Amino acid sequence: MRVLGGIALLMASLWMAFPTAVRAQMEFSLDEVDEGKTKPAQKSEDRGDLIEELAAGDDTGEGPVEPAPQHAEIAEEIYAVQQIYALRLKRFELAPSAAFTLNDPYLNHYGLGLAANYWFTNVLAIGVNFIWYDWGTNPLDRGTSLIPQIQDQFRLSVPINDWQMGLWANFTYVPFYGKFKVRKKIFQWDSYLIGGVGFMRTEPIPVFDSEVRSFNWQTNVAFNVGAGLRIFLTRYLTFFTEFRAYMWPDQFENVEVTPGPGRNDPSTWLQSGSTFVANTSIQVGFTVFLPVKFEYRLPK
Amino acid sequence: MMTLSRQTLLRISSMLALALCLLLGAGLQRDLSSASAQDVQVSGPLAGAAAVRHLRLWREMRFHLEPFFAFTFGDEYSRSLIVGGEARFHVLDWLGIGGWGGYSVATLDTNLTQQVQDKGVTTNINRLDLPSRENFPDQVGRLNWWSGVEVHFTPFRGKLAMFQKVFVDADVDFFVGAAFVGVEERANAVGRPVPGDVTFCEIDGVMDPGCLGSQVARSKRVAIAPSFGVAFTAYFKKFMGIALRWRGVPFKYNAAGTDASQQRAPGWGTIDSNDRTRQFNQMFSAGFIFVLPPKIKTTD
Repeated sequence: MRVLGGIALLMASLWMAFPTAVRAQMEFSLDEVDEGKTKPAQKSEDRGDLIEELAAGDDTGEGPVEPAPQHAEIAEEIYAVQQIYALRLKRFELAPSAAFTLNDPYLNHYGLGLAANYWFTNVLAIGVNFIWYDWGTNPLDRGTSLIPQIQDQFRLSVPINDWQMGLWANFTYVPFYGKFKVRKKIFQWDSYLIGGVGFMRTEPIPVFDSEVRSFNWQTNVAFNVGAGLRIFLTRYLTFFTEFRAYMWPDQFENVEVTPGPGRNDPSTWLQSGSTFVANTSIQVGFTVFLPVKFEYRLPK
Repeated sequence: MMTLSRQTLLRISSMLALALCLLLGAGLQRDLSSASAQDVQVSGPLAGAAAVRHLRLWREMRFHLEPFFAFTFGDEYSRSLIVGGEARFHVLDWLGIGGWGGYSVATLDTNLTQQVQDKGVTTNINRLDLPSRENFPDQVGRLNWWSGVEVHFTPFRGKLAMFQKVFVDADVDFFVGAAFVGVEERANAVGRPVPGDVTFCEIDGVMDPGCLGSQVARSKRVAIAPSFGVAFTAYFKKFMGIALRWRGVPFKYNAAGTDASQQRAPGWGTIDSNDRTRQFNQMFSAGFIFVLPPKIKTTD
């Protein structure tokens, strides 16, 4: 409950912190172009800056070129290159989200997550993400209809682990970005790849000898990879959805019950080996870029 | 471990959802009314000009032919690997109609199927559900072929940059229609002498000791179901592109090949149509698009 309240408070405080003046600054129209500052672009390799590259276009000539004397009037079409709608460079990103597991046939897992990233280039970020799954409910109350079905029809029990939380450090890379038009609005979007390492805390649910066995949360090294899509609603607020595969070696309850005194020996309660678990999930949420205000550095 | 009641959790979730909606609703109202995402607000000499000039018409009055490879996911007992094709004709750039079809060239049993095969137990109580564990993969339902007709809407289109080097046109295609699926299920059988204490089966009046023949007896039918989905398409040449597509085809069939009827409900003690349960069949496909005629038109 504290986590839920914390997330709500965080989002509310972030929202309240945005001054009206900032929103006015983020209006996008031709009026915001400062003609006095606009200068021709130079070769983009100087700074590796995306804006410069886009502004420079195909002009790959070496060094300054003296304009040739103009002897005749020419009717040349001039193209205006639009600035990137929202820069990520040197901004923090906070992303609360809800996580829905897709591939666990036995238990439904509902997670609330929070991610924080720092964009050290316009396309690369480093950060962490955290997901909390344990809401204090009996995990078997979240069981799917498959559990009683396989128990009745196949006389089969399967070892099941519940999840408490996961924390990962990640790299994010944005290889694709673009824009699409809906009626008279143009939405900017990007697609990103993400991956990292961290840990996942899980706990076996006693099924095979529940009278004797009880388990504690265990921490497992976990990896994750994923891909996501982010749509900019404003220059600092985006909607995102992402597909993530969280993977870790997990230890499940031993399906064999040792007869005699060994039954009470906790060292016999878990399977000897680990099982590779892949939790594929869809996460949906919003991201807030901070600071909400940013400045373009136009090429000299 | 702290335990919260379902009502408390529901209340917290509702409050959180309400807070999120209010927060985002208020924010979007303020921002979208001013300039977001990115209103086309043009004053001066460009006022009233078309939002896009020389727009490439990838779809209008053109055929799209798309060979694809697909796989189903989320299946409980058996996944399908599908090879197929799709043809579409677009009367407008945002509206088209098409048909698709595919054949399941291979199936992959899930981990649950493997576990039942390895560890399932047969008694007279569940003999109708699992006559023998070794042959369990032969009793599960399979989806052999797929086809359908669909209407396509393409409301979003734009362009994207890949790795800041390659710039391509792209669109998002939503589609809805009807699908026809070739389903292969366990054939009808009656457990004898009484439900819940089965020693043999009866198939069309013929005795089947141990139900072993019933386990592998198959019947085929065509299931008609709604189909819907979304696709992302990117065009690399004037006549060629790629499509990544998710499609959902929900319908009922006997996926496990068991007697899924509740005790004393109609169909209890028999394998029949009452044992079909709703399955949200979904697939992901990747395909190449060939566009005809190859020459592309543009707007003014």
